[in-house]
Amino acid sequence: MDTIDYYQIMSIGVYGSAIGLILIGLYAVLMKKHLTKIVIGLSIIDAGINLLFIAIGYISNGTAPIYSSQGIDLVKTGTPMVDPVPQALVLTAIVIGFGVTAVALSLVIRLYRHHNTARIDQIKSLKW
Amino acid sequence: MVISPVHYIAVPLLAAFLMPLLAKIHRELTRIVPGLVILYLGYVSVVLMNQVMAHGTIVEVIAGWNAPWGINLVYSPFTGFLASMMTAMAFVIWLYSYRFKKVDSQPALKYFILFMMLVTGTIGIVLTGDIFNFFVFLEITAISSYSLTAFYRDRDGAEAAFKYLLIGSFASAFILIAILLLYTQVGTLNMAQIAVRMHDVPTHMKITILILFLVGLGIEAEMFPLNGWAPDAYSQAPSPVGVTFAALVVKAGVYGLIRIIFTLFDVHGAYEYLIVMGAITLVMAELAAIRQKSLKRMLAYSSIGQMGVVMIAFGIGTNEAVFGAIFLMFNHAVIKGLLFMSGSYLVYNTPNKEIQYLSGYGMKMPLISLFFSLGALAIVGLPPFAGFWSKLYILIAAADNQMIGLIALILGVSIVEIVYYFRVVGRLYFGKPSKGSIMQKPTYGGVIAMSLLAIVILVVGFYPDVITPYIHNAADALLDKAQYIHSVLPNADLSQIQNLK
Repeated sequence: MDTIDYYQIMSIGVYGSAIGLILIGLYAVLMKKHLTKIVIGLSIIDAGINLLFIAIGYISNGTAPIYSSQGIDLVKTGTPMVDPVPQALVLTAIVIGFGVTAVALSLVIRLYRHHNTARIDQIKSLKW
Repeated sequence: MVISPVHYIAVPLLAAFLMPLLAKIHRELTRIVPGLVILYLGYVSVVLMNQVMAHGTIVEVIAGWNAPWGINLVYSPFTGFLASMMTAMAFVIWLYSYRFKKVDSQPALKYFILFMMLVTGTIGIVLTGDIFNFFVFLEITAISSYSLTAFYRDRDGAEAAFKYLLIGSFASAFILIAILLLYTQVGTLNMAQIAVRMHDVPTHMKITILILFLVGLGIEAEMFPLNGWAPDAYSQAPSPVGVTFAALVVKAGVYGLIRIIFTLFDVHGAYEYLIVMGAITLVMAELAAIRQKSLKRMLAYSSIGQMGVVMIAFGIGTNEAVFGAIFLMFNHAVIKGLLFMSGSYLVYNTPNKEIQYLSGYGMKMPLISLFFSLGALAIVGLPPFAGFWSKLYILIAAADNQMIGLIALILGVSIVEIVYYFRVVGRLYFGKPSKGSIMQKPTYGGVIAMSLLAIVILVVGFYPDVITPYIHNAADALLDKAQYIHSVLPNADLSQIQNLK
């Protein structure tokens, strides 16, 4: 092979880091005992999934999916547009993730005030 | 103004965000407005259900983007029935929570905002025809459920809510990945178009996506290994919220499971999977219920068990079984609503909401005890109450398919159910009254709400014909996949579509 396929390398990198993020998040949620760390883990999982969404919508050398004269010219000359749908979905997913994180953190504060600890193995009023 | 399905989503959502402003005008408005909104939705339900029964499925296109590009709402006899049922239950819950307990002006505002969001989310899940929109409504439902679970500061609500949030976040991650994989395979998010294109997806991919969806939605639908959140959330949340979980949230979760298995996918074995998971859910939940000391936890486990029966019935998949399943969903919403409402007044002042302190309450709180006993009789399926008919139809459907083991299972578990419900009822009427317990007088709204539910149980029990035509149409609409696709995409190629059952 005389030329290096940068697109190939990049896509492996992006998919790999997305899955890596999901796994790191899972590790944090399942293994960490501190409530805040668990919430951070949840956010990392969200970030990984969002990155995965963006990655599947990307086309090699694609242009931004904006309906403008410049964009149309690019498409006419054979440059493909990347898929706009996953980008729209990610925008929504980010907002939802933000909402969930906010609720989760407020619950952590409530739990801390109630039990005077934020470690999950010391909060045992209910069965886990 | 033209009545359309979009009012189900737009009106309560608008009301939820206007509520802080309305509270500035008059304090009482925060309590009255949700009732007016739900009454209006009831009017919408009546108009639309008549239209659907006469002319068939209504498809509402939002913002002028036709399917498959835009988001559409599908108001079929099935989704319409569920949406109307949820609206009716929301009205009863509003009546019950109108003056419930210590909700003074500020918490009442928060409570009703979250309640309106919950109504929007659950009805949205049922009506939407777009898989990503489905996810968004699921998250609206989930976030308001988390907050409502943690509503009381002096209980362990925050802990139950955090547990629910943790499991719920996993659910949403699973569903998101499932949607992502589905999008890479079919290149569309419209449910009808997914169903059309599903034929070309390789089988191993189909099964992967289906499993991701089932795990994600199984959490909301209280399917067996995924229902750890339910007993805690039910017991720690305010009582009206417990009713909301049983009548709205879980129903929406089950709808999601059913829509995905029946309409989106055509995988062999998914129905058998539903039967097996339903049976395991049923047995585990009822065995857990009989060991509970707290009344609310017992009711929560019983609720999970009923969802197991619903899953079994959907899994059998014949028209009769689906009819029984939808009937049971309706009955469960009404009866479990009554049980939660009356039960929470019974255990209002007892330590830890435990059953053992309820001795002799039948004489002290005659009306509430009567409601609870009626609910207990109805939910175990004794004639002439509403629960009898749904159980009968499911058993007949199982018998028609020679599933003798399932009949034995459902009847055997019914005995367990009778044991733990009548342990409570027996204690109410034949236990020795203990001294010093303080009775809680129910609010007028609460009494009206419980009476309404009791009347529905009796009327449906004696004259099931008032509701069966709607359920028959709902079952037909759910099973007719081609009709669903045709009503959303009139030009779609239906030659590849086959009904598995």
